[in-house]
Amino acid sequence: MPIMILGKEKVPQFVEGLLRDYQVIGPRKKDGFYLFGPVSKPEEIALEYPIALYPPRKFFLPAKEPVLRFRLGEKPEVEPVVEPPTPKVLFGLHPCDLHSTRLLDAAFLKENPDANYETRRRNAIFVGIDCLAPCDEYAFCKDMGTLDPKGYYDLFLTDLGEAYAVEIGSGRGEELLRKYSAAREATKAEQSKLEEVRKDRDKNFPSRLKFDASKLPEILWSRFNSPYWGELAKRCMGCGSCTLVCSTCYCHDVLDRVELNLTEGERIRVWDSCLLDEFAKVAGGLNFRPSLEQRLRHRFYRKGKYLWDLLGLPGCVGCGRCTRHCLAKINPIEVFNDVYQEYSQA
Amino acid sequence: MKPKVAIFEFGCCEGCQLQIPNLEEKLLELLEHIELVSWREGSSAHSEGPYDITFVEGSITREEEKDRLRQIREKSRILIALGACAHIGGVNAIKNSMDQEEVRRYVYGDKAEWFPSIPAMPLSAVVPVDYVVPGCPIDKEEFLEITKALLMGKTPVLPNYPVCVECKRAENICVYEKGLVCLGPITRAGCNARCPTFGNRCIGCRGLIDNPSINAHKEVMARYGLCAEDIINKYRMFWGYAEVIK
Repeated sequence: MPIMILGKEKVPQFVEGLLRDYQVIGPRKKDGFYLFGPVSKPEEIALEYPIALYPPRKFFLPAKEPVLRFRLGEKPEVEPVVEPPTPKVLFGLHPCDLHSTRLLDAAFLKENPDANYETRRRNAIFVGIDCLAPCDEYAFCKDMGTLDPKGYYDLFLTDLGEAYAVEIGSGRGEELLRKYSAAREATKAEQSKLEEVRKDRDKNFPSRLKFDASKLPEILWSRFNSPYWGELAKRCMGCGSCTLVCSTCYCHDVLDRVELNLTEGERIRVWDSCLLDEFAKVAGGLNFRPSLEQRLRHRFYRKGKYLWDLLGLPGCVGCGRCTRHCLAKINPIEVFNDVYQEYSQA
Repeated sequence: MKPKVAIFEFGCCEGCQLQIPNLEEKLLELLEHIELVSWREGSSAHSEGPYDITFVEGSITREEEKDRLRQIREKSRILIALGACAHIGGVNAIKNSMDQEEVRRYVYGDKAEWFPSIPAMPLSAVVPVDYVVPGCPIDKEEFLEITKALLMGKTPVLPNYPVCVECKRAENICVYEKGLVCLGPITRAGCNARCPTFGNRCIGCRGLIDNPSINAHKEVMARYGLCAEDIINKYRMFWGYAEVIK
Protein backbone atom coordinates (compact mmCIF):
# COMPACT_ATOMS: atom_id res chain seq x y z
CA MET A 1 0.00 0.00 0.00
CA PRO A 2 1.33 3.47 -0.86
CA ILE A 3 1.81 5.94 1.96
CA MET A 4 -0.68 8.77 1.67
CA ILE A 5 -0.52 12.42 2.71
CA LEU A 6 -3.35 14.36 4.34
CA GLY A 7 -2.78 18.09 4.92
CA LYS A 8 -3.63 19.11 8.48
CA GLU A 9 -6.09 21.67 7.11
CA LYS A 10 -7.96 18.82 5.44
CA VAL A 11 -8.53 16.77 8.60
CA PRO A 12 -11.75 18.62 9.60
CA GLN A 13 -13.24 17.90 6.17
CA PHE A 14 -12.30 14.21 6.58
CA VAL A 15 -14.00 14.03 10.00
CA GLU A 16 -16.99 15.96 8.67
CA GLY A 17 -17.39 13.27 6.02
CA LEU A 18 -17.08 10.45 8.53
CA LEU A 19 -19.71 12.05 10.74
CA ARG A 20 -22.27 11.68 7.96
CA ASP A 21 -22.06 7.88 8.08
CA TYR A 22 -20.43 6.95 11.37
CA GLN A 23 -20.42 7.67 15.04
CA VAL A 24 -17.00 9.30 15.48
CA ILE A 25 -15.18 8.79 18.79
CA GLY A 26 -12.15 10.88 19.61
CA PRO A 27 -10.09 12.39 22.42
CA ARG A 28 -11.85 15.43 23.89
CA LYS A 29 -10.50 17.90 26.43
CA LYS A 30 -12.27 18.20 29.79
CA ASP A 31 -11.01 20.03 32.89
CA GLY A 32 -7.41 19.80 31.67
CA PHE A 33 -7.64 16.05 30.89
CA TYR A 34 -8.51 14.09 27.77
CA LEU A 35 -11.36 11.59 27.57
CA PHE A 36 -12.59 9.49 24.65
CA GLY A 37 -16.15 10.25 23.66
CA PRO A 38 -18.44 10.74 20.67
CA VAL A 39 -17.93 14.03 18.85
CA SER A 40 -20.42 16.01 16.83
CA LYS A 41 -17.99 18.50 15.23
CA PRO A 42 -14.42 17.96 13.93
CA GLU A 43 -12.99 20.68 16.22
CA GLU A 44 -14.02 18.68 19.31
CA ILE A 45 -11.27 16.19 18.53
CA ALA A 46 -8.02 17.14 20.29
CA LEU A 47 -5.81 15.07 18.01
CA GLU A 48 -2.51 16.21 19.50
CA TYR A 49 -3.19 14.95 23.01
CA PRO A 50 -0.78 13.26 25.45
CA ILE A 51 -2.99 10.39 26.66
CA ALA A 52 -6.68 9.86 27.38
CA LEU A 53 -7.37 9.40 31.09
CA TYR A 54 -9.42 6.26 30.40
CA PRO A 55 -8.82 3.66 27.68
CA PRO A 56 -11.16 3.01 24.71
CA ARG A 57 -12.18 -0.36 26.20
CA LYS A 58 -15.65 0.91 27.18
CA PHE A 59 -16.69 1.16 23.52
CA PHE A 60 -16.42 -2.62 23.34
CA LEU A 61 -17.04 -3.56 26.96
CA PRO A 62 -19.25 -0.96 28.64
CA ALA A 63 -18.94 -0.51 32.42
CA LYS A 64 -22.40 -2.00 32.75
CA GLU A 65 -24.48 -3.78 30.13
CA PRO A 66 -27.48 -6.09 30.06
CA VAL A 67 -26.74 -9.53 28.59
CA LEU A 68 -30.17 -11.11 28.87
CA ARG A 69 -33.71 -10.42 29.97
CA PHE A 70 -35.82 -12.96 31.83
CA ARG A 71 -39.36 -13.57 32.99
CA LEU A 72 -39.93 -15.90 35.92
CA GLY A 73 -42.94 -18.20 36.23
CA GLU A 74 -44.02 -21.75 35.47
CA LYS A 75 -42.40 -21.46 32.06
CA PRO A 76 -39.46 -19.11 32.57
CA GLU A 77 -38.47 -17.12 29.49
CA VAL A 78 -34.96 -15.98 28.69
CA GLU A 79 -33.95 -13.70 25.85
CA PRO A 80 -30.40 -12.54 25.10
CA VAL A 81 -29.92 -8.81 24.75
CA VAL A 82 -27.92 -8.13 21.60
CA GLU A 83 -27.20 -4.54 20.82
CA PRO A 84 -27.94 -3.34 17.25
CA PRO A 85 -24.67 -2.48 15.49
CA THR A 86 -23.55 1.15 15.39
CA PRO A 87 -20.74 1.75 12.88
CA LYS A 88 -18.05 3.71 14.66
CA VAL A 89 -14.76 5.32 13.77
CA LEU A 90 -12.35 5.60 16.69
CA PHE A 91 -10.30 8.56 15.57
CA GLY A 92 -6.92 9.27 17.10
CA LEU A 93 -6.01 6.14 19.07
CA HIS A 94 -2.42 5.91 20.20
CA PRO A 95 -0.43 2.72 19.48
CA CYS A 96 -0.81 1.46 23.09
CA ASP A 97 -4.59 1.65 22.78
CA LEU A 98 -4.52 -0.10 19.40
CA HIS A 99 -2.52 -2.91 20.98
CA SER A 100 -4.90 -3.19 23.94
CA THR A 101 -7.79 -3.97 21.60
CA ARG A 102 -5.67 -6.72 20.11
CA LEU A 103 -5.55 -8.38 23.53
CA LEU A 104 -9.30 -7.91 24.11
CA ASP A 105 -9.91 -9.52 20.70
CA ALA A 106 -7.81 -12.50 21.72
CA ALA A 107 -9.90 -12.88 24.87
CA PHE A 108 -13.37 -12.28 23.43
CA LEU A 109 -13.26 -13.43 19.81
CA LYS A 110 -11.11 -16.55 19.72
CA GLU A 111 -13.06 -19.43 21.21
CA ASN A 112 -16.74 -18.99 22.00
CA PRO A 113 -16.98 -15.37 20.76
CA ASP A 114 -18.99 -12.91 22.85
CA ALA A 115 -21.91 -11.67 20.73
CA ASN A 116 -22.01 -8.09 21.98
CA TYR A 117 -18.24 -7.66 21.92
CA GLU A 118 -18.11 -9.09 18.43
CA THR A 119 -20.86 -6.81 17.10
CA ARG A 120 -19.17 -3.72 18.50
CA ARG A 121 -15.74 -4.76 17.34
CA ARG A 122 -16.78 -5.67 13.78
CA ASN A 123 -18.41 -2.27 13.45
CA ALA A 124 -15.44 -0.27 14.69
CA ILE A 125 -12.80 1.29 12.46
CA PHE A 126 -9.50 2.40 14.00
CA VAL A 127 -7.73 5.54 12.88
CA GLY A 128 -4.54 5.56 14.93
CA ILE A 129 -2.04 8.34 15.47
CA ASP A 130 1.65 7.99 16.20
CA CYS A 131 3.23 9.16 19.47
CA LEU A 132 6.41 11.04 18.72
CA ALA A 133 7.41 11.59 22.38
CA PRO A 134 6.41 9.87 25.64
CA CYS A 135 3.13 11.20 27.06
CA ASP A 136 4.60 11.31 30.59
CA GLU A 137 6.96 9.56 33.01
CA TYR A 138 4.53 6.66 33.62
CA ALA A 139 4.37 5.29 30.07
CA PHE A 140 6.63 2.39 29.10
CA CYS A 141 5.11 1.38 25.80
CA LYS A 142 8.49 1.10 24.10
CA ASP A 143 9.57 -1.52 26.64
CA MET A 144 6.36 -3.48 26.14
CA GLY A 145 6.74 -3.42 22.35
CA THR A 146 3.61 -1.35 21.76
CA LEU A 147 5.14 1.91 20.57
CA ASP A 148 5.04 0.58 17.03
CA PRO A 149 1.43 -0.19 16.05
CA LYS A 150 2.59 -3.22 14.02
CA GLY A 151 -0.16 -2.83 11.47
CA TYR A 152 -2.95 -3.11 13.98
CA TYR A 153 -5.08 -0.30 12.58
CA ASP A 154 -7.25 0.58 9.61
CA LEU A 155 -5.49 3.92 9.12
CA PHE A 156 -2.51 5.33 10.94
CA LEU A 157 -1.45 8.97 11.01
CA THR A 158 2.01 10.34 11.68
CA ASP A 159 2.63 14.04 12.19
CA LEU A 160 5.05 15.36 9.56
CA GLY A 161 4.59 19.00 10.53
CA GLU A 162 2.30 20.52 7.87
CA ALA A 163 0.57 17.26 7.08
CA TYR A 164 -0.04 13.75 8.31
CA ALA A 165 1.44 10.69 6.66
CA VAL A 166 -1.36 8.14 6.44
CA GLU A 167 -0.56 4.43 6.41
CA ILE A 168 -3.28 2.07 5.31
CA GLY A 169 -3.78 -1.12 7.32
CA SER A 170 -6.92 -2.59 5.80
CA GLY A 171 -9.33 -2.47 2.89
CA ARG A 172 -11.83 -0.70 5.13
CA GLY A 173 -9.22 1.92 5.92
CA GLU A 174 -8.40 2.40 2.26
CA GLU A 175 -12.06 2.84 1.38
CA LEU A 176 -12.55 5.32 4.22
CA LEU A 177 -9.65 7.43 3.02
CA ARG A 178 -10.76 7.33 -0.61
CA LYS A 179 -14.39 8.12 0.12
CA TYR A 180 -14.09 10.86 2.75
CA SER A 181 -10.68 12.48 2.48
CA ALA A 182 -8.59 14.48 0.03
CA ALA A 183 -5.46 12.44 0.74
CA ARG A 184 -2.88 12.04 -2.00
CA GLU A 185 0.10 9.75 -2.49
CA ALA A 186 3.30 10.71 -0.70
CA THR A 187 6.28 11.95 -2.68
CA LYS A 188 9.70 10.33 -2.29
CA ALA A 189 10.76 13.25 -0.09
CA GLU A 190 7.73 12.78 2.16
CA GLN A 191 8.42 9.09 2.48
CA SER A 192 11.97 9.74 3.65
CA LYS A 193 10.62 12.39 6.03
CA LEU A 194 8.37 9.75 7.58
CA GLU A 195 11.32 7.42 8.02
CA GLU A 196 13.27 10.20 9.73
CA VAL A 197 10.40 11.07 12.06
CA ARG A 198 10.16 7.38 13.02
CA LYS A 199 13.88 7.22 13.83
CA ASP A 200 13.62 10.34 15.98
CA ARG A 201 10.56 8.93 17.68
CA ASP A 202 12.41 5.79 18.74
CA LYS A 203 15.22 7.93 20.15
CA ASN A 204 12.76 10.09 22.10
CA PHE A 205 11.48 7.14 24.12
CA PRO A 206 13.85 6.02 26.88
CA SER A 207 13.91 2.39 28.00
CA ARG A 208 12.32 2.26 31.42
CA LEU A 209 12.61 -1.44 32.16
CA LYS A 210 16.08 -2.70 33.06
CA PHE A 211 15.55 -5.95 31.16
CA ASP A 212 13.89 -7.28 28.04
CA ALA A 213 10.12 -7.49 28.61
CA SER A 214 9.94 -10.94 27.04
CA LYS A 215 11.68 -12.22 30.19
CA LEU A 216 8.86 -10.91 32.43
CA PRO A 217 6.99 -14.22 32.78
CA GLU A 218 10.15 -16.01 33.87
CA ILE A 219 11.25 -13.21 36.20
CA LEU A 220 7.87 -12.94 37.90
CA TRP A 221 7.46 -16.69 38.24
CA SER A 222 10.76 -16.96 40.05
CA ARG A 223 9.71 -14.45 42.72
CA PHE A 224 6.20 -15.76 43.50
CA ASN A 225 7.01 -16.32 47.17
CA SER A 226 9.04 -13.14 47.62
CA PRO A 227 8.23 -11.01 50.70
CA TYR A 228 8.24 -8.12 48.22
CA TRP A 229 4.51 -8.55 47.52
CA GLY A 230 3.59 -8.23 51.18
CA GLU A 231 5.61 -5.05 51.52
CA LEU A 232 4.02 -3.60 48.39
CA ALA A 233 0.54 -4.49 49.65
CA LYS A 234 1.08 -2.27 52.71
CA ARG A 235 1.01 0.76 50.40
CA CYS A 236 -1.98 -0.48 48.38
CA MET A 237 -5.54 0.56 49.31
CA GLY A 238 -7.03 -2.30 47.30
CA CYS A 239 -9.41 0.19 45.66
CA GLY A 240 -9.25 -1.51 42.26
CA SER A 241 -8.65 1.72 40.31
CA CYS A 242 -5.53 0.35 38.56
CA THR A 243 -7.48 -2.47 36.95
CA LEU A 244 -10.60 -0.43 36.22
CA VAL A 245 -8.58 2.09 34.20
CA CYS A 246 -6.46 -0.63 32.58
CA SER A 247 -6.87 -0.85 28.82
CA THR A 248 -6.53 -4.64 28.81
CA CYS A 249 -8.43 -5.68 31.97
CA TYR A 250 -11.73 -7.27 31.11
CA CYS A 251 -12.93 -9.07 34.24
CA HIS A 252 -16.55 -8.50 35.10
CA ASP A 253 -19.19 -9.58 37.57
CA VAL A 254 -22.59 -10.92 36.51
CA LEU A 255 -25.65 -9.82 38.49
CA ASP A 256 -29.39 -10.40 38.23
CA ARG A 257 -31.69 -7.41 38.69
CA VAL A 258 -35.40 -8.01 39.13
CA GLU A 259 -38.12 -5.44 38.67
CA LEU A 260 -40.68 -4.45 41.27
CA ASN A 261 -43.22 -6.87 39.82
CA LEU A 262 -40.80 -9.60 41.02
CA THR A 263 -41.22 -11.57 37.79
CA GLU A 264 -39.29 -9.70 35.10
CA GLY A 265 -35.69 -8.70 35.18
CA GLU A 266 -32.33 -8.59 33.51
CA ARG A 267 -28.91 -10.09 33.89
CA ILE A 268 -26.18 -7.47 33.70
CA ARG A 269 -22.42 -7.57 33.61
CA VAL A 270 -20.40 -4.87 35.30
CA TRP A 271 -16.67 -4.21 35.49
CA ASP A 272 -15.05 -6.02 38.37
CA SER A 273 -11.50 -6.01 39.70
CA CYS A 274 -9.22 -8.75 40.99
CA LEU A 275 -7.97 -6.30 43.64
CA LEU A 276 -11.34 -6.28 45.39
CA ASP A 277 -11.99 -8.23 48.54
CA GLU A 278 -14.69 -10.53 47.17
CA PHE A 279 -13.39 -11.04 43.63
CA ALA A 280 -12.26 -14.60 44.36
CA LYS A 281 -15.15 -15.47 46.68
CA VAL A 282 -17.04 -18.50 45.38
CA ALA A 283 -20.26 -20.31 46.26
CA GLY A 284 -20.12 -21.60 49.79
CA GLY A 285 -18.21 -18.52 50.92
CA LEU A 286 -14.63 -19.65 50.25
CA ASN A 287 -12.32 -16.86 49.13
CA PHE A 288 -9.27 -18.30 47.41
CA ARG A 289 -7.36 -14.98 47.42
CA PRO A 290 -8.34 -13.55 50.80
CA SER A 291 -5.34 -11.26 51.36
CA LEU A 292 -4.55 -8.04 49.55
CA GLU A 293 -0.98 -9.30 49.14
CA GLN A 294 -2.27 -12.26 47.08
CA ARG A 295 -4.59 -10.07 45.05
CA LEU A 296 -2.00 -7.42 44.29
CA ARG A 297 0.52 -10.09 43.23
CA HIS A 298 -2.17 -11.71 41.10
CA ARG A 299 -2.77 -8.44 39.28
CA PHE A 300 0.91 -8.10 38.33
CA TYR A 301 1.08 -11.75 37.30
CA ARG A 302 -1.96 -11.34 35.07
CA LYS A 303 -0.23 -8.42 33.34
CA GLY A 304 3.24 -9.94 33.16
CA LYS A 305 2.75 -13.70 33.01
CA TYR A 306 -0.67 -15.36 33.00
CA LEU A 307 -2.17 -13.55 29.98
CA TRP A 308 1.08 -14.01 28.11
CA ASP A 309 0.89 -17.74 28.76
CA LEU A 310 -2.81 -17.88 27.88
CA LEU A 311 -3.11 -15.60 24.85
CA GLY A 312 0.44 -15.20 23.65
CA LEU A 313 0.39 -11.44 24.18
CA PRO A 314 1.67 -9.33 27.08
CA GLY A 315 -1.20 -8.41 29.39
CA CYS A 316 0.21 -4.91 29.73
CA VAL A 317 0.65 -2.40 26.93
CA GLY A 318 2.67 0.04 29.03
CA CYS A 319 0.17 2.90 28.80
CA GLY A 320 0.82 3.84 32.44
CA ARG A 321 -2.81 4.64 33.24
CA CYS A 322 -2.72 2.47 36.37
CA THR A 323 0.07 4.58 37.88
CA ARG A 324 -1.58 7.83 36.87
CA HIS A 325 -4.76 6.85 38.72
CA CYS A 326 -3.11 5.14 41.71
CA LEU A 327 -3.17 7.49 44.69
CA ALA A 328 -0.39 5.44 46.32
CA LYS A 329 1.59 5.67 43.04
CA ILE A 330 2.27 1.95 42.77
CA ASN A 331 4.06 1.85 39.43
CA PRO A 332 4.56 -1.29 37.30
CA ILE A 333 7.86 0.08 35.97
CA GLU A 334 9.22 0.16 39.53
CA VAL A 335 7.58 -3.12 40.50
CA PHE A 336 8.93 -5.00 37.49
CA ASN A 337 12.39 -3.48 37.98
CA ASP A 338 12.37 -4.29 41.71
CA VAL A 339 11.41 -7.89 40.99
CA TYR A 340 14.08 -8.09 38.29
CA GLN A 341 16.62 -6.86 40.85
CA GLU A 342 15.67 -9.73 43.18
CA TYR A 343 15.72 -12.19 40.29
CA SER A 344 19.16 -11.16 39.11
CA GLN A 345 20.59 -11.33 42.64
CA ALA A 346 19.05 -14.70 43.49
CA MET B 1 -49.88 -13.48 52.93
CA LYS B 2 -48.04 -10.22 52.53
CA PRO B 3 -45.16 -9.77 54.97
CA LYS B 4 -45.85 -7.27 57.75
CA VAL B 5 -43.40 -4.38 57.65
CA ALA B 6 -42.76 -1.81 60.37
CA ILE B 7 -40.54 1.29 60.43
CA PHE B 8 -39.24 2.84 63.68
CA GLU B 9 -36.74 5.51 64.60
CA PHE B 10 -34.33 6.58 67.33
CA GLY B 11 -31.89 9.52 67.34
CA CYS B 12 -32.01 10.86 63.76
CA CYS B 13 -33.53 13.42 61.40
CA GLU B 14 -35.97 10.89 59.86
CA GLY B 15 -34.64 11.89 56.46
CA CYS B 16 -33.94 8.28 55.52
CA GLN B 17 -37.58 7.30 56.06
CA LEU B 18 -38.54 10.31 53.99
CA GLN B 19 -36.90 8.63 51.01
CA ILE B 20 -39.64 5.98 51.16
CA PRO B 21 -42.56 8.31 50.30
CA ASN B 22 -40.17 9.85 47.78
CA LEU B 23 -40.48 6.56 45.88
CA GLU B 24 -43.88 7.92 44.80
CA GLU B 25 -45.63 5.49 42.39
CA LYS B 26 -43.04 2.82 43.11
CA LEU B 27 -44.19 2.86 46.74
CA LEU B 28 -47.70 1.98 45.54
CA GLU B 29 -46.27 -0.91 43.54
CA LEU B 30 -44.26 -2.04 46.58
CA LEU B 31 -47.43 -2.00 48.69
CA GLU B 32 -48.82 -4.74 46.48
CA HIS B 33 -46.17 -7.00 48.00
CA ILE B 34 -45.98 -5.82 51.63
CA GLU B 35 -48.30 -4.67 54.41
CA LEU B 36 -47.00 -1.57 56.18
CA VAL B 37 -48.37 -2.08 59.70
CA SER B 38 -46.44 0.54 61.67
CA TRP B 39 -44.85 3.71 60.34
CA ARG B 40 -45.29 6.87 62.40
CA GLU B 41 -43.91 9.20 59.73
CA GLY B 42 -46.03 7.86 56.89
CA SER B 43 -49.17 6.20 58.24
CA SER B 44 -51.68 6.44 61.09
CA ALA B 45 -51.77 2.64 61.36
CA HIS B 46 -49.96 1.06 64.29
CA SER B 47 -49.45 -2.56 65.22
CA GLU B 48 -47.80 -3.96 68.33
CA GLY B 49 -46.30 -6.73 66.21
CA PRO B 50 -44.96 -9.25 65.52
CA TYR B 51 -43.34 -7.92 62.35
CA ASP B 52 -41.75 -9.83 59.49
CA ILE B 53 -39.43 -7.04 58.40
CA THR B 54 -38.58 -4.04 60.57
CA PHE B 55 -36.58 -1.05 59.40
CA VAL B 56 -35.05 1.01 62.19
CA GLU B 57 -33.59 4.46 61.60
CA GLY B 58 -31.39 6.41 64.02
CA SER B 59 -28.65 5.77 66.52
CA ILE B 60 -28.99 4.96 70.22
CA THR B 61 -28.19 8.08 72.26
CA ARG B 62 -30.15 7.53 75.48
CA GLU B 63 -30.00 4.64 77.94
CA GLU B 64 -33.76 3.88 77.85
CA GLU B 65 -33.67 3.53 74.06
CA LYS B 66 -31.75 0.29 74.44
CA ASP B 67 -34.77 -1.44 76.02
CA ARG B 68 -37.12 -0.14 73.38
CA LEU B 69 -34.80 -1.41 70.65
CA ARG B 70 -34.53 -4.82 72.35
CA GLN B 71 -38.34 -5.04 72.40
CA ILE B 72 -38.54 -4.16 68.71
CA ARG B 73 -35.90 -6.81 67.99
CA GLU B 74 -37.88 -9.46 69.87
CA LYS B 75 -40.97 -8.74 67.80
CA SER B 76 -39.12 -8.69 64.46
CA ARG B 77 -38.20 -11.67 62.31
CA ILE B 78 -35.78 -9.54 60.25
CA LEU B 79 -34.33 -6.28 61.55
CA ILE B 80 -32.70 -3.83 59.16
CA ALA B 81 -30.68 -0.74 60.06
CA LEU B 82 -31.92 2.13 57.90
CA GLY B 83 -29.34 4.80 57.16
CA ALA B 84 -25.98 5.89 58.53
CA CYS B 85 -27.13 6.68 62.12
CA ALA B 86 -28.57 3.19 62.61
CA HIS B 87 -25.80 1.51 60.63
CA ILE B 88 -22.64 3.14 62.01
CA GLY B 89 -23.72 5.79 64.52
CA GLY B 90 -23.48 8.48 61.85
CA VAL B 91 -23.10 12.18 62.51
CA ASN B 92 -24.56 11.70 66.01
CA ALA B 93 -21.31 10.01 67.00
CA ILE B 94 -19.23 13.14 66.29
CA LYS B 95 -20.03 14.04 69.93
CA ASN B 96 -18.47 10.81 71.20
CA SER B 97 -15.00 12.34 71.04
CA MET B 98 -16.04 15.50 72.89
CA ASP B 99 -16.65 16.20 76.55
CA GLN B 100 -20.15 14.80 77.14
CA GLU B 101 -21.17 17.42 79.74
CA GLU B 102 -20.00 20.25 77.54
CA VAL B 103 -21.90 18.86 74.55
CA ARG B 104 -25.13 18.64 76.54
CA ARG B 105 -24.74 22.16 77.85
CA TYR B 106 -24.05 23.40 74.30
CA VAL B 107 -27.24 21.77 72.98
CA TYR B 108 -29.67 22.09 75.90
CA GLY B 109 -28.26 25.12 77.76
CA ASP B 110 -29.40 25.45 81.37
CA LYS B 111 -31.83 22.51 80.91
CA ALA B 112 -28.98 20.09 80.19
CA GLU B 113 -29.69 17.98 83.30
CA TRP B 114 -33.18 17.19 81.97
CA PHE B 115 -31.71 15.43 78.95
CA PRO B 116 -29.38 12.64 79.97
CA SER B 117 -27.65 11.22 76.90
CA ILE B 118 -24.95 8.65 76.23
CA PRO B 119 -22.31 8.42 73.49
CA ALA B 120 -24.11 7.59 70.23
CA MET B 121 -23.97 4.01 69.02
CA PRO B 122 -25.27 2.03 66.04
CA LEU B 123 -28.11 -0.48 66.51
CA SER B 124 -25.65 -3.35 66.21
CA ALA B 125 -24.02 -2.27 69.50
CA VAL B 126 -27.26 -3.26 71.27
CA VAL B 127 -29.02 -5.97 69.24
CA PRO B 128 -28.17 -8.25 66.31
CA VAL B 129 -28.90 -6.50 63.00
CA ASP B 130 -29.67 -8.69 59.97
CA TYR B 131 -29.14 -6.27 57.09
CA VAL B 132 -28.27 -2.66 56.43
CA VAL B 133 -29.46 0.07 54.08
CA PRO B 134 -26.46 2.43 54.31
CA GLY B 135 -26.14 6.12 53.52
CA CYS B 136 -27.00 9.63 54.66
CA PRO B 137 -29.67 9.64 53.53
CA ILE B 138 -30.36 6.16 52.17
CA ASP B 139 -30.62 5.64 48.43
CA LYS B 140 -34.28 4.86 47.81
CA GLU B 141 -33.47 2.52 44.93
CA GLU B 142 -31.14 0.54 47.19
CA PHE B 143 -33.94 0.34 49.78
CA LEU B 144 -36.07 -1.20 47.04
CA GLU B 145 -33.31 -3.62 45.96
CA ILE B 146 -32.88 -4.88 49.52
CA THR B 147 -36.64 -5.20 50.06
CA LYS B 148 -37.08 -7.04 46.74
CA ALA B 149 -34.32 -9.47 47.65
CA LEU B 150 -36.08 -10.29 50.94
CA LEU B 151 -39.44 -10.67 49.19
CA MET B 152 -37.85 -13.18 46.81
CA GLY B 153 -36.18 -15.10 49.61
CA LYS B 154 -32.70 -13.99 48.55
CA THR B 155 -29.97 -12.59 50.78
CA PRO B 156 -29.60 -8.85 50.23
CA VAL B 157 -26.03 -8.11 49.16
CA LEU B 158 -24.30 -4.74 49.50
CA PRO B 159 -21.27 -3.88 47.41
CA ASN B 160 -18.15 -4.73 49.38
CA TYR B 161 -15.89 -2.52 47.32
CA PRO B 162 -15.03 1.16 47.59
CA VAL B 163 -16.53 4.22 45.93
CA CYS B 164 -13.43 4.43 43.64
CA VAL B 165 -14.86 1.52 41.67
CA GLU B 166 -18.01 3.47 40.84
CA CYS B 167 -16.00 6.61 40.03
CA LYS B 168 -13.92 4.63 37.55
CA ARG B 169 -17.00 3.00 36.01
CA ALA B 170 -18.38 6.53 35.50
CA GLU B 171 -15.02 7.78 34.11
CA ASN B 172 -14.88 10.53 36.72
CA ILE B 173 -11.79 12.68 37.08
CA CYS B 174 -10.52 11.81 40.57
CA VAL B 175 -11.38 14.58 43.07
CA TYR B 176 -7.83 14.27 44.48
CA GLU B 177 -6.77 15.79 41.12
CA LYS B 178 -8.92 18.80 42.04
CA GLY B 179 -7.23 19.22 45.41
CA LEU B 180 -9.95 17.53 47.48
CA VAL B 181 -9.24 14.78 50.00
CA CYS B 182 -11.73 11.99 49.55
CA LEU B 183 -12.76 8.99 51.69
CA GLY B 184 -13.90 7.09 48.58
CA PRO B 185 -10.99 4.60 48.57
CA ILE B 186 -12.21 2.94 51.78
CA THR B 187 -15.92 3.81 51.81
CA ARG B 188 -18.50 1.23 50.76
CA ALA B 189 -19.87 1.84 47.26
CA GLY B 190 -23.51 1.54 46.20
CA CYS B 191 -24.29 5.25 45.81
CA ASN B 192 -22.99 5.35 42.21
CA ALA B 193 -20.24 7.64 43.55
CA ARG B 194 -22.83 10.39 43.75
CA CYS B 195 -20.75 13.04 45.54
CA PRO B 196 -17.54 12.71 43.46
CA THR B 197 -19.62 12.55 40.27
CA PHE B 198 -20.96 16.00 41.12
CA GLY B 199 -17.51 17.33 42.03
CA ASN B 200 -17.52 16.79 45.79
CA ARG B 201 -15.36 14.56 47.92
CA CYS B 202 -16.78 11.40 49.51
CA ILE B 203 -17.35 11.95 53.23
CA GLY B 204 -17.92 8.30 54.07
CA CYS B 205 -21.66 8.23 54.86
CA ARG B 206 -22.03 4.61 53.74
CA GLY B 207 -19.42 3.37 56.21
CA LEU B 208 -16.24 1.43 55.62
CA ILE B 209 -15.78 -1.57 53.34
CA ASP B 210 -15.22 -4.83 55.21
CA ASN B 211 -11.42 -4.86 55.18
CA PRO B 212 -10.33 -1.27 54.62
CA SER B 213 -6.62 -0.53 54.15
CA ILE B 214 -6.70 2.28 56.67
CA ASN B 215 -2.94 2.78 56.91
CA ALA B 216 -2.49 2.97 53.16
CA HIS B 217 -5.35 5.48 52.99
CA LYS B 218 -3.85 7.60 55.77
CA GLU B 219 -0.55 7.63 53.88
CA VAL B 220 -2.32 8.83 50.76
CA MET B 221 -4.07 11.62 52.67
CA ALA B 222 -0.75 12.61 54.24
CA ARG B 223 0.80 12.70 50.75
CA TYR B 224 -1.96 15.16 49.85
CA GLY B 225 -1.02 17.40 52.75
CA LEU B 226 -3.17 16.31 55.68
CA CYS B 227 -1.71 15.98 59.19
CA ALA B 228 -2.79 13.18 61.56
CA GLU B 229 -5.40 15.35 63.27
CA ASP B 230 -6.95 16.48 59.98
CA ILE B 231 -7.22 12.84 58.93
CA ILE B 232 -9.02 11.81 62.12
CA ASN B 233 -11.35 14.77 61.75
CA LYS B 234 -12.30 13.64 58.24
CA TYR B 235 -12.98 10.13 59.56
CA ARG B 236 -14.96 11.47 62.53
CA MET B 237 -17.78 12.95 60.43
CA PHE B 238 -19.50 9.58 60.01
CA TRP B 239 -17.16 7.09 61.65
CA GLY B 240 -17.13 8.49 65.19
CA TYR B 241 -18.13 5.12 66.58
CA ALA B 242 -15.70 3.08 64.46
CA GLU B 243 -12.35 1.73 65.59
CA VAL B 244 -10.48 3.70 62.91
CA ILE B 245 -10.62 6.94 64.85
CA LYS B 246 -9.55 5.44 68.16
